[in-house]
Order: sequence, then structure tokens, then C-alpha cells
Amino acid sequence: MKLLIIEDEKELVESMVTYLQHESYVCEVAFDFKEAQDKIETSEYECIALDISLPGGSGLKLLQELKNNNKSDGVIIISAKNSIDDRIHGLQLGADDYLVKPFHLSELAARINAIIRRKMHNGSNVISFNEISIDLLTKEVRVENSMVDLTRKEYELLLYFISNQRKVISKNALISHLWSHEIGTGENIDFIYTHIKNLRKKIQEKGGGDYIKSLYGMGYKLTDQ
Amino acid sequence: MKLQAQYNRISIISSIIVLLIAGIGYYFLIHYVLKEQLDNTLRVEQVEIQDFIQTEHTLPAATTYKDQKIEFKKADQVFPQSFRTFRLYDEEEKENELCRQLLFPVQVDGQWYTASVTKSQEETEEMIGLILLITLGLILILSSLLFFASRFFVKRLWQPFRATLSAIKSFNLDAPVPIKTEKAAIHEFNELNESVNLMTEKVVKDYLSLKHFTDHASHEIQTPLAIVISKLDVLIQDPALSEKNLTHLQSIYNAVDKMSKLIQSLLLLAKIENNLFSESSVVDIRAAVRNKFLEFDEWMQEKKLALNNEMKDLHVTMNPQLADTLISNLVINAIKHADGQGEICIHSDNKSFMISNPGRNALDSHRIFDRFWKSEHSDGTGLGLAIVKRICDQYGYSIQYEFKEGVHFFTLVF
Repeated sequence: MKLLIIEDEKELVESMVTYLQHESYVCEVAFDFKEAQDKIETSEYECIALDISLPGGSGLKLLQELKNNNKSDGVIIISAKNSIDDRIHGLQLGADDYLVKPFHLSELAARINAIIRRKMHNGSNVISFNEISIDLLTKEVRVENSMVDLTRKEYELLLYFISNQRKVISKNALISHLWSHEIGTGENIDFIYTHIKNLRKKIQEKGGGDYIKSLYGMGYKLTDQ
Repeated sequence: MKLQAQYNRISIISSIIVLLIAGIGYYFLIHYVLKEQLDNTLRVEQVEIQDFIQTEHTLPAATTYKDQKIEFKKADQVFPQSFRTFRLYDEEEKENELCRQLLFPVQVDGQWYTASVTKSQEETEEMIGLILLITLGLILILSSLLFFASRFFVKRLWQPFRATLSAIKSFNLDAPVPIKTEKAAIHEFNELNESVNLMTEKVVKDYLSLKHFTDHASHEIQTPLAIVISKLDVLIQDPALSEKNLTHLQSIYNAVDKMSKLIQSLLLLAKIENNLFSESSVVDIRAAVRNKFLEFDEWMQEKKLALNNEMKDLHVTMNPQLADTLISNLVINAIKHADGQGEICIHSDNKSFMISNPGRNALDSHRIFDRFWKSEHSDGTGLGLAIVKRICDQYGYSIQYEFKEGVHFFTLVF
């Protein structure tokens, strides 16, 4: 699967590529408007991460060209502007999602995964990790064939882990995913641990493996290795 | 008092005073001049009498001619000549007339006589009366002229000022257009208009650049923050990291998160102040509060807090995003600072919303809503309650803090 990252901050691009280079993802990069235009015209991508303010032109113009040419590439806008108007404008032009800087790479990965899943019209809305499977339409979680009864936050947490499987996710990233930017991180954010403990327990009760590993309490990783 | 009325009052009063003083001065001056003239006539008469005695060595006949009367009386001795003014009964006109008299000694054959020359002063008095009348008439005409002139002409003179004033009154930063005024005939008004034009142009320019500052600052600060966070996210993937290094990384994460939260809060405050949240709709406060507590259910469990819900239906018309921030900040504040086990109480009626949490000590109720004010143990940004206050100010709501028997109360009246 091919991804295109259009962003002029080289350091940020480097981190994004490093994180997203998964066995099934191939990342291509464009640092300015012209380069991006060429790449979009010549090939197709499963998903494009698009910065709005680019040297040489607006990212929104690229988005417009993409839609005018009836391209089916998924688009996630990454912008430093947290303005409702920009968000609405971007989504109206046909972007699939809008992510405000600064963001955690795990958040970007989860959203790109979601866009790609929606684009692949293969009828299956189920994603799985070993014996755990999630039906995205009914929001049902199963271990083998038995249903796991999860709260909304636990469901979101599991989905986030599966979207970032085998990656270490910081506590801060988990919190900002579950509660957007509402709560700051200080010593009293450890209640994220309660959520994870409950999730692990519920999966193990249904016979699932204990896949969520803690890294000295600073981060977590869904892994079977 | 209107400027025009004030101006009228001053100009009319001062002109009356000036005219009165001038009238009185005039009266005395004329009086003096005319009396001198009368006295001179009397002296001419005196000289004629003395000349007559010198040549004829006899007294001239006592005469009464027109309003002039000459008399002689024997006198015992010589005396200095003198003028006097007195009233004399006039047979013809049957009334007391004011007269001026010159008394002087004359000698005929060794006998002293008192000669008196008397002249009526009525004419002089009449003239003075006339002058007084003219002065009074002038006062009356001048003041009524001033009054009407200011009423009809000054009003027209002030017209450009009124136009400028109404332009200033209708000046609104929600639709920032500098004031453009027309050229007036009066220099001072043109000067005023120029200053107003320049000032509003500057205000509009500053306002727009402040508005853009929000976007620019956001972009400029968020991008380096995004780089730091992305590098951290990549760094923690390294399996070789020691526990000690991971602890350091956690501290960096927390600091960066706090910085990011701080910048977002400052930008939010700036946006509220720049009226960037103008659209509004009806917000169900009860539902919003309930949803917030659902979001933080596990946090409540973790802190062993119970929720005492006494919420009644409450709908408020405001910006939905600001309503969410308002409720969110109050709820987070209550859970975060709930000290010890106990309950968080939420209460509402059709006009107000109250939230309380257990605490140990009363907080400074004067400073609790100030920017960057924090209680000793708080690790927050110190902006949460400042944002609450700013949103309340924006809509004219009141927010009050109270501490009673180990409970912090925050009451919001819509």
C-alpha cells in the first residue's frame, strides 16, 4: 500500500516516514506544491497526508485538483490551524479527515488506517489481531467467537492499539486520543491504567491472550511477541 | 447640559454684564459731562452779573426767564461761592423739578449780597433717561439676537460634528471598516475628522493583525511542537531504552503536552477576545454535563468519587464550542481538585448551574479566576478557570466561588 506525505517540515516528515514504514506501507514524500502535484498526477495512493501551507501553493488547491480529476486517494489534512472554518472547508472539498498539529504519530497512523479501511470496498468491516476481532459496523468485539462487552472508551482503546500494533504508544498519546486535548498530563493521569487493566481483564476472561504490555508505566504496546 | 446651551448661557450672561457695566459707566460719564456743561452756563451768567455790577454799580434786576432764575439777597458777610443741586416746586408744571444753583457773593456800595443763578436740570435728566433706555434696549436686542442666532445658525455649524459623532457611535469591530468622514467647512472639525479617520484606521489595522496573529502564532508554535512530539514517538520505539531513559522521556512528554495545552488555551482566550465565536445555538447544559461525566467515569472511579446529580432541564443559547469548553473546564477542575473521597455534586435549575467538589482549604476567591493563578499543588496551566471566567464575561454570565465546610462550590448564573 502506498502513502504520500506532503509536508514541508523535513524533520516531521522523517519521523512520520519512520513510524509509518510498516511492512505493508510504502511512504513517498513531497516537500513542496510542485513536487506534490507531479506525484499526485503520476501515481495513485491509498492515502495522502496533506499539509495546507506549502511552499509554492495551498494544500487545499491540491485537494481540489485531486477531486476534479476524480482520483479516489484518501486524504487526511494535517494543519497547524485549529480553526473550525478551515476544518469544514477542508472536509467540504473532499478530505476524509483533519488532524491538527501537534499530533502523536500513533494518532496519525490510526486515522490513516481508518481511511484506508473505508476505501477498501471488499465488504469486510472486520479487523483482527490474532484471536481478537472487531466489527467496525456493529462495534462488536469478539475473542474467537465469544463477545466481549467493552465500554466505549475501552473499545476505542483496543481499536487504537490494533491500528498501532507492535508499536509503543505513550500514555500521553492514549490520553489525547481518548479525551482529545481536554485534560493535561500530570501525575494524576494514571487513571489510563484503570482502562487498560479493565480491557486486559475482559479479553483474558474470554480466553484471549495478554497482548498489552506496559513499558514501565510510560507507554503500552500491543504485541504477540 | 448641551454645549450649545452652555455656550448660550455664557455668552448671554457675559454680554448682559458687559452692557450693564457699560450702561452704568455711561450714565455717570454723561451725568458728569452734562453737569459740567450746566455749571459752565451758570458761571457765564455769574461773569455777566459781575460785569454788570462793575460798570453800573447796581444790582441787575432779578429775572426769571424760561428755566433760568436770578435772585439777590442781602448777606452779612463774604462767603465762598458754591454749587448745589436741589428740588424746587415749579408753579407752571405743578411738580418738583431738579435744579442746579450757583451761589456767589457780590458787593454793591459796601453791602454784600448773595447772588443765586438757578437753572432747571430736567433736560439733562431726560437725556440721561434716554441713554439708559437705549442701553437697556441694546441689551435686550443683543441677547435675543444671540439666542436666536445660536438656535438656528450654530446648530447648522455643528452639523459636521454630529455626523462624525454618529459615525463613531456606529463604529463596530465586528464589521471592521475605518470611519470615512466628509470634508467640513470648519477647520477644527476637519482636524477632528482627520484624527478620527486615522485612529479608526489604526484600530482596524491592529484588530485585523491581532486576528491574524492568532493564526500565525498557532502555526509557528505548533509546528516545532509537532516535531518534538513526533521525535519522541519514534524514540520510544527503540527497544534498547533503559527504564531510566524512559522516565526521562515521560517527563519530556509531560512538559511538551503541557506546553501544547498552554498554547491552545492562550489561543482560545485570544480567539474569544477577538469575537471569533459569534454563531450560537441552543445548548442542552444538562446533557452536556452528563456526557462529560460519562467521559470521565473511570477517572471518577479511580479517585473514588461519587456523583450526586441534581440537574434539572437547562437550555442556554450560546456558541456550542464555548459551551463545551465552559462545561468541560468546570467538570475537569472539580474532578482534578477533588481532595479525598467524597462526592461531586452537580445541581441546576432553569437559570443556574452549580458544581461542587470536596477540598481542604478555601482558595483565594479574588484571584481564583485570574490567568496563571494556581493553587499550590496544581500542575495545570492555570488557565482553565480563567477561560471559564472569560466565556462568562463574553455572555454576561456570573461565576462565583465559595468554600463551605470542606466543599468548593462554583455557581454559574446564566
